[in-house]
Amino acid sequence: MDDRKIQIVIDSLWPMIKAALQYTITLALISFVLGLILAVLVALVRVWKIPVLNQIAIFYVWVIRGTPLLVQLFIIFFGLPSIGIEFDPFPAAVIAFTLNMGAYNSEIVRAAIQSISNGQWEAAYSLGMTRGQALWRIILPQAARVSVPPLSNSFISLVKDTSLAYTVTVVELFQVAKQITATTYEPLLMYTEAAVIYLAICTILNALQSVMEKRLSRFSAQ
Amino acid sequence: MIEIRNLHKSFGSLEVLKGIDLSLEKGKVLVIIGPSGSGKTTLLRCLNLLEMPDAGSLQLGETSIEFDGRRKADKQRVLKLRQNTGMVFQSYNLFPHKTALENVMEAQVVVQKRDKDAARKRSMELLAKVGLSGKEDAYPHQLSGGQQQRVGIARALATDPEVMLFDEPTSALDPELVGEVLKVMKELAAEGMTMVVVTHEMKFAAEAADTVVLMDNGVVLEQGSPRQVLQNPSSDRASQFLNLLTAKD
Repeated sequence: MDDRKIQIVIDSLWPMIKAALQYTITLALISFVLGLILAVLVALVRVWKIPVLNQIAIFYVWVIRGTPLLVQLFIIFFGLPSIGIEFDPFPAAVIAFTLNMGAYNSEIVRAAIQSISNGQWEAAYSLGMTRGQALWRIILPQAARVSVPPLSNSFISLVKDTSLAYTVTVVELFQVAKQITATTYEPLLMYTEAAVIYLAICTILNALQSVMEKRLSRFSAQ
Repeated sequence: MIEIRNLHKSFGSLEVLKGIDLSLEKGKVLVIIGPSGSGKTTLLRCLNLLEMPDAGSLQLGETSIEFDGRRKADKQRVLKLRQNTGMVFQSYNLFPHKTALENVMEAQVVVQKRDKDAARKRSMELLAKVGLSGKEDAYPHQLSGGQQQRVGIARALATDPEVMLFDEPTSALDPELVGEVLKVMKELAAEGMTMVVVTHEMKFAAEAADTVVLMDNGVVLEQGSPRQVLQNPSSDRASQFLNLLTAKD
């Protein structure tokens, strides 16, 4: 590799990392947290089979899981303005990714809640707890432990999927790589550099997952 | 203390309780025996409304509830009734993510809103009472079955219930661990705790019960003192069941 190319790699490193911090990671974090709250609500509606809401929840999960994320993103950013609903690029991306996470993660949370034995609910009820107290104090902490591996998976997928946000003009990591490519004519170099940064982020997330699993399994024999 | 009138419960088309009448005075021990499928566990679970009866009435301490299948029982009354009872489960059902001490503290803090220090103090006393001083910080999986069940008893006692319900508390235990749990139960009975116990431990029934009820097929077949029911049952069906149990020993 000649000096020019090395210089391009070095020069583009900070802009890419900055974009990753400012948009890629922020977008992923906000969408994941909001999506998780949505997922827990949807999961509870489905576990408790709350009339009407249950049907809405099933419909929502069906639609989101059955359509491409890219198409959802386009509908929100390019489609909705034609009926007068307009979003800036970043909020549009947050909405799309949140809806997506909410649907996928609701299935994970639902399975986790249902994996906790009924005896745990009964023990809580027998002590005089309300359904909410039993859920919050007894069931969710145990369900959280079960769902850490699949939720980590979905967070890592999300970090990578945020690259789709370039299509709605969010200046995230991949967008920056594209822009630099346009001026340097080094697509292999720039896209590889972007890939390496994604890889680094996901490696850190993997390590965090292990730490969390260890912390949450302190009460169990396995 | 407990008054049950004409209690009915069905699961789908299967009628499990076919009109049960029972009463129990304060400080007495009622032992319910009977073949599996006789409805004894369902009856016990109706007492703290883990199963909602279809018809009949239940009075427990100050709380009384009428059931008529269609209307849901008043939530506040259900909670009050449950706070007035403590339940010990066959499979312990300890909270695996909490230590022994935290298991016993949980309801005091969350349900009774006691402050943490008072709850901790009370929990230490209860764990000492069931012979588990020194095990406060152990998680359930670090304890033997007998120890877990004793934590279960301490947890049920923590809210100062007026009645303790035991659902086959020793059935899941290794034989050598049964004794330590029965010992705690006998001590409780001797202290004057009102108890309803579903069990297959005939020796416990003979020694600790004030009243023994033999259930079969959703009805009370025999009811009386341990001597009456266990040694001179009036029906053939009852003698058959009791013979089977003694043959097993």
